[in-house]
Amino acid sequence: MGKFMCVAAMILVGGVAVLTASGCGKKSLQSGGEAQSAQQGAMAKGGAGGGGSNGAQSGVGSNFPDTSLQAGGGSGEGLRGLDKNPSEERLGGGTLMAKADSAGSASRQLDDMRAEQAASAAAGLRDVYFGYDSWTISEEGRQALVRDADWLKANPSAAIKIEGHCDERGTTAYNLVLGEKRAKSVRNYLVELGVSANRLSVVSYGKERPFCAEHAESCYQQNRRGHLAVKAGK
Amino acid sequence: MTQTTFIGAILSGLLVLAGAVGILDSGAADVFLEATRPDFQKISLGVVGIQNTGGPDWLGGRIEEVLKKDVKRSLVFDLVDLPSLGIKVREVSNGATAIFKQAADNGVSLLVWGKASLKETGKEADATMEGFVYDSSSDEVVGGKRYAGSPSVLRLMAHRFADELVFRYTGEPGIARTKITYVAGQGSARELFIMDYDGYDPRQLTADGFLNLMPRWSPDRRFIVFTAYRNRNSQDIDMIELATGKRWTLISYGGLNITPALSPDGNFLAFASSYEGNSELYRLDTRTKSVQRLTVNPSGDLSPSWSPTGRELAFTSDRGGGPQIFLMSSDGTNVRRLTFEGDYNAAPAWSPRGNWIAYVCRTPRKEYKLCVMSPDGQKRMQLTTGPGVDDSPSWSPDGRHLVFSSTADGKSHIYMINADGKDLERLTFEGTHNSAPAWSPAS
Repeated sequence: MGKFMCVAAMILVGGVAVLTASGCGKKSLQSGGEAQSAQQGAMAKGGAGGGGSNGAQSGVGSNFPDTSLQAGGGSGEGLRGLDKNPSEERLGGGTLMAKADSAGSASRQLDDMRAEQAASAAAGLRDVYFGYDSWTISEEGRQALVRDADWLKANPSAAIKIEGHCDERGTTAYNLVLGEKRAKSVRNYLVELGVSANRLSVVSYGKERPFCAEHAESCYQQNRRGHLAVKAGK
Repeated sequence: MTQTTFIGAILSGLLVLAGAVGILDSGAADVFLEATRPDFQKISLGVVGIQNTGGPDWLGGRIEEVLKKDVKRSLVFDLVDLPSLGIKVREVSNGATAIFKQAADNGVSLLVWGKASLKETGKEADATMEGFVYDSSSDEVVGGKRYAGSPSVLRLMAHRFADELVFRYTGEPGIARTKITYVAGQGSARELFIMDYDGYDPRQLTADGFLNLMPRWSPDRRFIVFTAYRNRNSQDIDMIELATGKRWTLISYGGLNITPALSPDGNFLAFASSYEGNSELYRLDTRTKSVQRLTVNPSGDLSPSWSPTGRELAFTSDRGGGPQIFLMSSDGTNVRRLTFEGDYNAAPAWSPRGNWIAYVCRTPRKEYKLCVMSPDGQKRMQLTTGPGVDDSPSWSPDGRHLVFSSTADGKSHIYMINADGKDLERLTFEGTHNSAPAWSPAS
């Protein structure tokens, strides 16, 4: 019965599906969490997939729902038109939207980040800085990487994550590509210096994790970088 | 960005046309009409008032304010100031023929009025609103609506009534009940949020504690697709079902997995991934779960945006140096470059009406502003000016507005602007790093 009420409320609202009655919102939050961990398990085993090309199926989820637009939806859905003698339309209240993740996730991320920062600070690795729009490593950057390579050779068990960062100018999306180019430039130079590629992973943070928040070139310089982090707990 | 260069936009449009086509006269008229068309079509509408028939003092006035803003933003109606025409407000009922005649004599097409109440009995609270419309062309009360619900849906009542008005006079569902999903900062993390189209009622969608980026709606508004950094070292493309909070990973290749976009029919997810070396575009069939590669190029390809028919994609590519906007068929064939002006054009968004592609253009002064270009490359306008980085344009489902992020006021916030560059409106005032807005489809 409760479930029916929720569905009825959503139909009445007729708007975006985030508007659900509070009761069903809470309940679905729990079931969402369970479904999610089941999903993660499935992903860890490698999602199966249909045909497709490029042999790329290992990175494709297998059990997400159909996102096709159902026939019959479209203009004016949920609107009933004006009436000379309108009857009462009851709109769903208590607009609660499910928070789509477990509360533990955020604090776990924070703990991991702190461990990584501590390990990186202890190693004393040097970062590489880039010019505007550029992913070319400067002479200064090369010198920094020679020292980083020496540390890596002296610490053969350490694995490094190379983060590509950008300043705030430009678009979020293109800066993610630019950040990856920077991170890969750093990785490629370290490999040239004799560091094994399988100790080096790259990730782009674009302009989303700046080191400095002012809107000034002095700050932008700080943010256009390849940052070397020691992977913690490996 | 405090001023939009409407005149400048027309002039630059003229210059582009004059240079590219060499037909100045007819071209000029075309550009001018495109830029101002909403004004020419507006239906004059006066809101007499929302009478307070029980409840707190602010009730009627607040609903009236929401309704008036919706009417104005619809760009379908021209909101008339009734007192300036000598028409006394708040004195109307279904039989108030004197005020109807006054409105008709003053060229006001539609009159709207209503009432609202809010009753609290113990723990329960019940709100009502009703609204009616008089049409002077047919000299009759064409109809109305009556809504009831909890106090939390008072704004929704006004939005819904506004959308009924738009629906009545255009056959389109209106945008007053649409939503905007966006990214906001929480400490150093970026989480997804959803707010009403007018910036009210923001609600948090994710709580991962790291980065969630570039959300997009499914065409049926049930799902949000986005990029998530699940373990800080790799990116996935994830999907959340809004009604339940259930979450799935769609794409978990190595490398970048960014800029997901579902096709208008929901059958395909276009996205960029760098797992085969550099950022390329792919297309996931969401029914068969098979993936097709669309671009083969040593440069970065990203940010796919579907044409409303689903037959074509606009995207960003830095083949040839800096990023530029390209178009191609949705199977990856027939690639051609769209933008040639300036050395940085990115983040394309194809209008739901098909007639414009909005994007971020870098000006000669190295400012990142919003531009629009027609898909045939013949017409171009710069919509915003001034300091600050503008990013992530996304169209309203009626094609009359864009939402985008800008650092014009210091911190990054979300703004709305008309497709012709007028009526810039700031939507967010709280929080930090409000960015990457995406406008929901209409319902």
